[in-house]
Amino acid sequence: MREKLKEIIGRYDVEYIEDYRSWVKAKLKNKEDLLPLIKELKKAGVKSCSTVSPTDFIDENRIEVNYFLENLNPTKSSKEEEKVNVWLKVDLDRDLQNCEIDSITPIMPSANYHELEAYSTFGVKFRGHPNLRYFLISRDYYGKFPFRKDFDFKEHEKNLIENINAITDEFLEEFEEHEKTIGHEGSRTVLHWGPTHPASGPIRLKVFTNGEIIEKVEPDIGYVWRALENLVERKDFIGAIVAVERICFMDNPNPMICYSEAVEEIAGKEITPFAKYMRVILGETGRIASHLISMGSFFGTMGLQTFLMWCLDVREYFLDVLEDYSGARIATSCIEPGGVRYPLPDPEAWFNEIDKAIKKWEKVKPDIEDIFLKNPLMTKRAKNTGVFTLEDVEEYFLAGPVARASGAKIDVRIDEPYAGYADLEMDYVTCENGDARDRLYIIVKEVDQSIGLIKQAIEKIREGIEKGEMNPSKDHLIKMPKKLPAGESVRRIEWARGEILMHLVTQDKATSPYRLKIKTPSVNHTMMLENLLPGHTLSDIPLLYGSMHICQGDLDR
Amino acid sequence: MSVGSMLFYIFVFPGLLFLLLWTFFVFYFARKTLAYLHKRVGPHYNGPAGSLQTVWDIFKLLTKESITPKSADPYLFNIIPIITPIIAALPVILIPWTPLINDGRAILDTEYGVLGLVVLIGVEPFLLFLTGFGSNNKYSFLGGMRILAQMLSMEAPFFLAALSPALLFGTMNLYEIMQNSTWLTSLILLPGAIIYIIAMLGILEQPPFNIPDAEQEIVYGFYTEYAGTNYTLLKFAEFTEILVVSAAAVVLFFGGYRGLFFDSFWWLFLKVALIALIIVAIRASNPRLRLDQMLKFCWSWLTPLAVLNLVWIIFARLYLLGA
Repeated sequence: MREKLKEIIGRYDVEYIEDYRSWVKAKLKNKEDLLPLIKELKKAGVKSCSTVSPTDFIDENRIEVNYFLENLNPTKSSKEEEKVNVWLKVDLDRDLQNCEIDSITPIMPSANYHELEAYSTFGVKFRGHPNLRYFLISRDYYGKFPFRKDFDFKEHEKNLIENINAITDEFLEEFEEHEKTIGHEGSRTVLHWGPTHPASGPIRLKVFTNGEIIEKVEPDIGYVWRALENLVERKDFIGAIVAVERICFMDNPNPMICYSEAVEEIAGKEITPFAKYMRVILGETGRIASHLISMGSFFGTMGLQTFLMWCLDVREYFLDVLEDYSGARIATSCIEPGGVRYPLPDPEAWFNEIDKAIKKWEKVKPDIEDIFLKNPLMTKRAKNTGVFTLEDVEEYFLAGPVARASGAKIDVRIDEPYAGYADLEMDYVTCENGDARDRLYIIVKEVDQSIGLIKQAIEKIREGIEKGEMNPSKDHLIKMPKKLPAGESVRRIEWARGEILMHLVTQDKATSPYRLKIKTPSVNHTMMLENLLPGHTLSDIPLLYGSMHICQGDLDR
Repeated sequence: MSVGSMLFYIFVFPGLLFLLLWTFFVFYFARKTLAYLHKRVGPHYNGPAGSLQTVWDIFKLLTKESITPKSADPYLFNIIPIITPIIAALPVILIPWTPLINDGRAILDTEYGVLGLVVLIGVEPFLLFLTGFGSNNKYSFLGGMRILAQMLSMEAPFFLAALSPALLFGTMNLYEIMQNSTWLTSLILLPGAIIYIIAMLGILEQPPFNIPDAEQEIVYGFYTEYAGTNYTLLKFAEFTEILVVSAAAVVLFFGGYRGLFFDSFWWLFLKVALIALIIVAIRASNPRLRLDQMLKFCWSWLTPLAVLNLVWIIFARLYLLGA
């Protein structure tokens, strides 16, 4: 596979082709080559675009656009089969007029929102994009491209009142436009599902309906846009974790693992085995905490709050585990470059806490299965609703539980193991139908898988302590250099809702990241709503939306 | 009927005061039971076991500003919340509440008791539809349309089920239906009672049929624009309707205030509370249905079953009771 991809890329005019972990990394000389190359790559099996990430090198007067193309291979047959991805780079002129490149959205629809985001924040124009518009950023940033290095946030904040007026004007204009185009005759109307809707969270879906039937959906995002990618550039390498962990409060430790590993790679450091297993335990605890909320809110979307309350009850125990270790329940900041933040002076006491949480889940589980998972009304609502096929998974890069519910064998923990996962036994957990109900079942299965992983990691740590290889009160952190060399790294982790990819760029003697691109799964899942919802009724919006486990925190960043 | 007793009926029992107390009770009861099933505590601080919380809540709502939206029809918008509780409270005069009043008969003891009950309960949804219509809000309007669709379909099985005791005993007088009922007739009427309770969930917009005010979909349905006093009045009407419909169920199917050892209002109250408990338990364990699924369920299962139930009642009347 790797050789084949290299051969295809080698036919074009490239500066270099090299191997990088599971990626084939190449830099194109001509931006015109991009489209034909991507067409060929798609034929060869690299069908999904993970993200499009521009980097602004202001000193060299260029913008480098990175394309992360992934070979998801959802029908992977044997464990040995490698999934080789492609990482392409193209240089563009920094000048706004010439900062243009062909859009790959017509070939790979999964690039759609990522290209819009790159356009809105960096001003890279994508020729041939089906609907190139400003996205994610609010009206006052239109045409200013806030992630470029020469954008001054402080200067921008000075005109606060005008900025707010610009945002409200946009709504009024839109309202008047709808009055004109749709009017009051007939059964067609626009409903705003969000941002202050009981079930939506801070996102707005413009739902064009005919009576109860949905005709078109336009997501409007950016209500919790905190510019995290830009924020980390103003912090040092340790301080950046507090920005990274705030991607979404529900699964807190995992994004920090991703970021820390990217930093460690540039620094050229290897962390201790003890820290690796600690990362597994913390990461899986975070995953369970997140899944418990996802499960509960799945029923919440259908007006049943009991399950959510029961899940929150169990979740408290898993948050206790995080609190015991780090002192915080939600924003733990417990993983940092170099290992994990705190030593573990009394491992057995902490393991007992984990045991308590696991026992609580196992006690509640039979009741949950009987009352909720087999509920006939839920089955009636969710079965065979909103089905995703394997083609959809590849086409739109659905990730994590949503992909696995369709039977796709995708899991970064196995495909490209990080932290301590390489030494643990695990297999793909999948469901078959890919409907909304399976997206609930897969989550329950994954909680059990996570518990299994936690138990294995605890065993490994116990063994290590027994043999004297691990010292829990010393091994947690290795010394990291204060300044990092120039370099870049890409890391992927399996987050609770799917794959997170972080692309970190540093410059020489760096004390803070030069650029950190965070790719999150909810972007693709929200993109999918446009194709999924039309034809369904209004009642299906919350159900299907909830079944994708979308979190606005990681959607907007 | 003297003026004194008339005023007593209107303002104390089974009129205003009783209905208010019932509203406080059922509000508190539903919250506390639901909290128990949710593994929460529920109302806790005001009064013993939080029992005064709902009283405070209702008086707080009354002090809030009652907003009329600019785009709404002000007359329609404000008059419906006054009419609705009155219509909802009217059926109380048809129901025999206690042996102490009027020799145990209803205040308005008529040969057409079942019919009157069915008509007065049936008028209510159209008023609620008008609240949605008068609000001139997309969500309210959709809620109003949904309530209309739901009522038109749910009323058919509801009325057919309510007719079954009348058919069995050959009278529409609620007092006589109640007096004639025995353990055997209650057993014969059980299928009818089950259909009645299912259809009742639809009429009262309780889960799994809380489609008209599905907050995850259309915010709060026809309630969306209401606040303050108007909202309180609408909620009062809703709780009154719950009382009326479940008291009607008890009188029609389960022997009203008649009980073991002695006849009393408290037997009726206990039976009504049990029905309220069933409503809360269903609410705590079942998600909401979709509108089209509800329609399909109603017309292809519930209504045919209600008709079959009438056949069974006639069979039972002829061969089991030997009429």
